[in-house]
Amino acid sequence: MFDLLKDFWLLFGRLFPFPTRPGLRKAGNPDRSSPVLVTCNFELTVRKVIQALERDHIDAWVLVAPTKGINVWCAAGGGHFTTDTVVSILKTSGIENLVDHRRIILPQLSAVGVNIWALKDRTGWTPHFGPVDINHLAAYLTGGEYRAERRHRRVEFPLKERFIMGTNLAFNSLVFLIVPFLVASIWVTGLWWKSIALLFLLGVLNSVLVLWLPGNPGVRKGFSLGLLASAVFVVMAQTAWTMEPAATLGWTGWIVLLSTYLGYDMPSWSPLWRADVKELVTGVKHTHVEVVPERCIGCGLCTIVCPASVFELNPEMKISRVVHLEACQACGACIENCPKEAIDNNFRAGVCSCPTCTVINSVKSHKRKDAERNGGETEPVAAAGCCESGDCESGEIECSQHQWIPDNVI
Amino acid sequence: MSTLVYMRMLEQTPTKYDRGMRILTFGCIDRIKREIASTWIEPGQDVLEIGCGTGSLAALMTRRGARVLGIDISENMLAAARSNAPDAEFIHMTATEINKLGEDRFDRIVATLSFSELSEDELDLVLRVSSVLLKRRGKLVVADEVPPSRWWRRVLARLVRWPLASLTFLLTQNTTRALKMYDIRVERAGFRIVHHKVHLLGTLALIVAENTNDS
Ligand code: SF4
Ligand code: SF4
Repeated sequence: MFDLLKDFWLLFGRLFPFPTRPGLRKAGNPDRSSPVLVTCNFELTVRKVIQALERDHIDAWVLVAPTKGINVWCAAGGGHFTTDTVVSILKTSGIENLVDHRRIILPQLSAVGVNIWALKDRTGWTPHFGPVDINHLAAYLTGGEYRAERRHRRVEFPLKERFIMGTNLAFNSLVFLIVPFLVASIWVTGLWWKSIALLFLLGVLNSVLVLWLPGNPGVRKGFSLGLLASAVFVVMAQTAWTMEPAATLGWTGWIVLLSTYLGYDMPSWSPLWRADVKELVTGVKHTHVEVVPERCIGCGLCTIVCPASVFELNPEMKISRVVHLEACQACGACIENCPKEAIDNNFRAGVCSCPTCTVINSVKSHKRKDAERNGGETEPVAAAGCCESGDCESGEIECSQHQWIPDNVI
Repeated sequence: MSTLVYMRMLEQTPTKYDRGMRILTFGCIDRIKREIASTWIEPGQDVLEIGCGTGSLAALMTRRGARVLGIDISENMLAAARSNAPDAEFIHMTATEINKLGEDRFDRIVATLSFSELSEDELDLVLRVSSVLLKRRGKLVVADEVPPSRWWRRVLARLVRWPLASLTFLLTQNTTRALKMYDIRVERAGFRIVHHKVHLLGTLALIVAENTNDS
């Protein structure tokens, strides 16, 4: 019963934090060589992760990190799933006494907040970024190589997710619209409940159809849907329901207005577009990211952390470059994790795609990264990626981890 | 619209934080900080402050003549602290990493409204490590929100707190949680409580505990 209520709430209230106790969990019967995964303490995520692992017969240790009950991506963007968080759960879980290896698998989307170079420096554990979706973990673990296919590194927005986000979009818009609806019902009887029904219908349609609607994400897609929906409505009103022309006109305008409003909010409910205020109105434009060739050492980490497959690595040239700039969501993961600060960007105090986190991501994380590297009282240590650059051989900088190359570059 | 509002709400700034805490504690936290600096800190002592926030207590303690090292995980807070308490030293570090700071090094470890931010496991670890970090007979000074000990006070505190906490959250997007079973936890980690005073209907406590471990 309680679970059912919880699921019902999660259908509308995904956005709100829903914590479960942080700490160590087991999936199956893990032993001293089993993989160690880290996840957030959003109740739904933890449940799904354990379920997926047990379904795929993966025995693993799961570290539920204290992320204030917020999901991985939003927590990482909002500063609740950071290097500090992982350091903390590694220490408090006592996992180092339970396994013989020192490899941890982080969710890929935590890359927005977790800097793996700093994490390795501070804990001695070797971090790897797993796939975006826990359902692809089995493939990732095969052969013990910790390797994810490129398509498993991309964030998708499948139909089911679009439907759920549509209900959330409508529900959260309702919070702001319920008062105007009730007030308007003074003049038009029954307007409020009809409007609520309309809001949910248009919210779900806006979200489900978002990939196909004409126009840029934002008000334009919402407006397109409004026109389409009102066209259908006019036909129905005139043929089946024999509504008066004045009333038909009124409802038509109302439909377009509501749909445009929902469209304006839609990008922030999607994992594909970011929610910058100005851009929500003028249509989502994309920010600028560029690899500075002189600084890039071709470690390939940007190709791993990017949820939108923006980068491509040229292994011979040992250099990465931007190939799909239009897909960039300005999440800041590449900038947070590039060991050489080789990714030039024009992120203003950007806001990430998730409404719960509100992140001034890239700008902030840049500063944080420096601070973390120099954290504690230790002198700055050269990032491990220097192995590739040959700087350490020339004796210019001291390399602390000679062997380590971040993840497996595809 | 909903997005915009949520975005604004979750933005954390140091000034907002200080304001939030002041409202939530009826200004009591400022008084407690002054009491800590004047009563529980001596000139020349080495003090570690866990979760230094905006550095308001660190400033009071350095003025008293103590050598203060403050740690926090928020760069924003650290920046504010550095300008508020220029004589103290501040570093970015999580509470669970304080073992890196050595042994037998501090006369006082101070934490105001920061232990309640930790998860239970984190808190136990921090308390254990604190007793190693503190010199013998060194003291742990904690001011935090606690659940009142009597049931009717708990009910009353809930009633008063709920609207206040909602209001504070709306104004400043900050809130606190109560520290549960702090006395047992503190004692289990090897401390002896030497001073315990509650404020605000027993919802805010100042606890001073002495290190009994011989390290
Ligand atoms: S992460 Fe930085 S250094 Fe590594 S390949 Fe990408 S741009 Fe180059
Ligand atoms: S390129 Fe854009 S989407 Fe990809 S990691 Fe960097 S900021 Fe995020």
